[in-house]
Amino acid sequence: MTIQSAPGHQTPAARPRSRRTELLEQRPVNLDGFVEEWPEVGMVAMDSPYDPKGGIRLENGTVVEMDGKAREDFDFLDRFIADHAIDAAAAVRAMALSPTEIAHLLVDPKVSRQEVLSVSCGLTPARLLEVVRTMNVVEMMMALQKMRARRTPANQAHSTSARDNPVQVAADAAEAGLRGFRELETTLGVVRYAPLVAIALQVGAQSGRPGVLTQCALEEATELELGMRGITGYAETISVYGTEQVFCDGDDTPWSKAFLASAYASRGIKMRFTSGTGSEVQMGNAEGKSMLYLEIRCILVAKGAGVQGLQNGSISCIGVPGAVPAGIRAVLAENLIASTVDLECASGNDQSFSHSDMRRTARLMPQLLPGTDFICSGFSAVPNYDNMFAGSNLDPEDFDDWNVIQRDLQVDGALRHVPEAEILAARDRAARALQGVFAYLGLAPISDKEIEAVTYAHGSKELPPRDVLEDLKSAQSVMDRGITGLDIVKGLDASGFPDVAEALLGVLRQRVSGDLLHTSAILTPELTTLSAVNDANDYAGPGTGYRPSGARWEEMKRLRHVVSARNPEQEVDR
Amino acid sequence: MAPEELDPRRDYPLASRRPELIRTPTGKPLDDITIEAVLSGAVTADDLRITPRTLQLQAQIAESTGRRQLGQNLRRAAELTALPDEKVLAVYNALRPRAATKDELLRIADELERDYAATLCARLVREAADVYERRDILAR
Amino acid sequence: MTDTVAGARTLELREKGPAMPGRRSDEVVVGLSPAFGDFFSKTIVGVPHADVLRELLAGVEEQGMHARVVRFRASADLAAIAHAAARLSGSGIGVGILSRGTTMIHQKDLLRLSNLELFPQAPLLDLETFRLIGRNAARYAKGESPEPVPSRNDHMARPRWQAKAALLHIKETEFVRPGAEPVELDVLIRTAG
Repeated sequence: MTIQSAPGHQTPAARPRSRRTELLEQRPVNLDGFVEEWPEVGMVAMDSPYDPKGGIRLENGTVVEMDGKAREDFDFLDRFIADHAIDAAAAVRAMALSPTEIAHLLVDPKVSRQEVLSVSCGLTPARLLEVVRTMNVVEMMMALQKMRARRTPANQAHSTSARDNPVQVAADAAEAGLRGFRELETTLGVVRYAPLVAIALQVGAQSGRPGVLTQCALEEATELELGMRGITGYAETISVYGTEQVFCDGDDTPWSKAFLASAYASRGIKMRFTSGTGSEVQMGNAEGKSMLYLEIRCILVAKGAGVQGLQNGSISCIGVPGAVPAGIRAVLAENLIASTVDLECASGNDQSFSHSDMRRTARLMPQLLPGTDFICSGFSAVPNYDNMFAGSNLDPEDFDDWNVIQRDLQVDGALRHVPEAEILAARDRAARALQGVFAYLGLAPISDKEIEAVTYAHGSKELPPRDVLEDLKSAQSVMDRGITGLDIVKGLDASGFPDVAEALLGVLRQRVSGDLLHTSAILTPELTTLSAVNDANDYAGPGTGYRPSGARWEEMKRLRHVVSARNPEQEVDR
Repeated sequence: MAPEELDPRRDYPLASRRPELIRTPTGKPLDDITIEAVLSGAVTADDLRITPRTLQLQAQIAESTGRRQLGQNLRRAAELTALPDEKVLAVYNALRPRAATKDELLRIADELERDYAATLCARLVREAADVYERRDILAR
Repeated sequence: MTDTVAGARTLELREKGPAMPGRRSDEVVVGLSPAFGDFFSKTIVGVPHADVLRELLAGVEEQGMHARVVRFRASADLAAIAHAAARLSGSGIGVGILSRGTTMIHQKDLLRLSNLELFPQAPLLDLETFRLIGRNAARYAKGESPEPVPSRNDHMARPRWQAKAALLHIKETEFVRPGAEPVELDVLIRTAG
């Protein structure tokens, strides 16, 4: 086994080098890490000779053999998948089809999404792997365009702060909402800050544009508690893994996670699981299987648990599939398979991936072009240094590039250009609303100076430091006093933000009706639920399905600088 | 209460299409959840919860759109509405690997069934006890 | 594997026999992972193990404390190595280090999954940091409460190093001998002509 020496590193000094080699050595892409495949330990994307062959045998409606393994030898993932994910009634017919035949069903626009689902619900993990192995990335994108559950694509952003500054989180949440994100996620440097930052995210989100759903990534039990109190609106960091060992290392099983899924639903709270290629080999326990095979097991655990959706696309392990051949093809295949088994898919593009702008963009296209339920499961709405998820594939510096790409290709990436005056107003308002809520609840004060600074700031370095000890005391008191979402509503109303109070109450009211518990559900700014039930993807080839048009297309045409046709000496109002 | 036959195309979202079917746990209709009611204390955090009946209706919608597992999840959730938050967390923690013995898990299942009529959840816990034993991930 | 550039140091680790619990209250045990300074000769970013160990030991000794080096073959888990080192240490303070450079300061009375200081981002650990880690370990051993060594963070370390780190971890795991007893080492660091 030879380990490739790190690029950009010491080279033998004596030998003369060409000027071109020197230039290439300095390209950002050569700062990325690439490694050779090693299938025996699972360091391989999706083509391992050690992956099992697809197959199934049933007796009286029970799976007694799956992918070459007898029921008595099943590990707990096999067992859960066989008994909960696979539809035994559909399995015999579905498994009789060859991988290529199934791939054709996926790609052919004349075969409806519903017809594909009637087959996919009976497929085993190894067969699903065999299917995507026959497909190239363009075929996978064709399939994803049809199999995405919600007709209208959406997007999610990260709003975090290196100093856990709640004022910053609120302002960036408001801006992100205004720019079009329908879900916002935060997490912490100092975990004890969680209640304050989660309140800030919620207040900021509703001041930016009503109906944005928010979540705070924490340890499972704490995350559930904030959700139960109505401080957050949904949950996502419910991790599942592809081998028994790694699942146990994560202190969970498919049964504990399935129970957790029901626990969230019992409080009317939307949630999805999280998984991704590379996590098992990263922890040194891939059992000699390819990254994608193990990820397919995760996808089917999510399916079997009855959770409505999944965040996948490698996520925090993206450096692992990103370093092996065909790794990014495997990442697209993950998203496709999640959609193909009828789960909401929040499709990654959410972690620092490459030093190369060209490579970052290439990694994004397979989700952006066909559209997914959430193209990024975390477009960073804060500078890279403030991103407490360890950076994203997209940063706020990329907002304009994104808007231009949408306009160039007439592809809806779910964002829009917003004039600076509107953004400044939203940031200011979010910070003032939070100031009012903190004062109402007797939490650490927010000064006018902080509000002024955050309105114009890019990141936490430009903000006056907060009194961390006072903040942490406030955070503790939020938990001790049992403050809930309704207290935030009261605080917003009392401090002169009745419309924001109304928006937050509207979001909280959703948990009574449970409409958001369905696959791929989001709230529109008018607080209407849009999900795979009432906005089902109806793509059936050219001229069908979701295409940006009308008011949305006019909105997509607006950019920061567009020369006026009427008077070319001027730019169009922005 | 008579079982309601729902048509997802006509009746979803329930909040806007069939609001008359939805009540808070204290029996209020959705329209009663207003800012004024929140400020006056007529609506409290206890009102902002979903009822087992609403979850059963949503389960029906999930199943009639072909989502069997989601429907099952919502039916388990309907059972869990009866459990206090701490109890929900306690059952979850017991289901973690090596957190409970087989007897402890079976007792939890019995309790879910007896005290909360949570038969689906009890079945899930019993199944876990069986699998955990086979895979040697019970508490020792 | 060995670059014999002039001035480079070589590392020789001689096995002395089973490592016993220490009685000296002024000692810090440095626990090495199974392949440190053996199959592997440098960290993930190419810092030679000879120099890493030299700085760690110098950091301990400059505080007037004594360092003892022990090889742990039973596990490639950093917390397990660091905690085992702490339990052998007469002062109750141990340092664990993996071949790729990831380092931890541990204390024998803490839970295994807890620690005094953890340096998870191996690509960011330079010689100066290793010196400071040795120094802080010695100060804990003296009963002081030093300021933690400043931690650094780089989000772009992931795209560059994540996969290599996984390979190094898997490779190191191949050298694990379950149940193997810890072995005390004599450390010889020489400067090549």
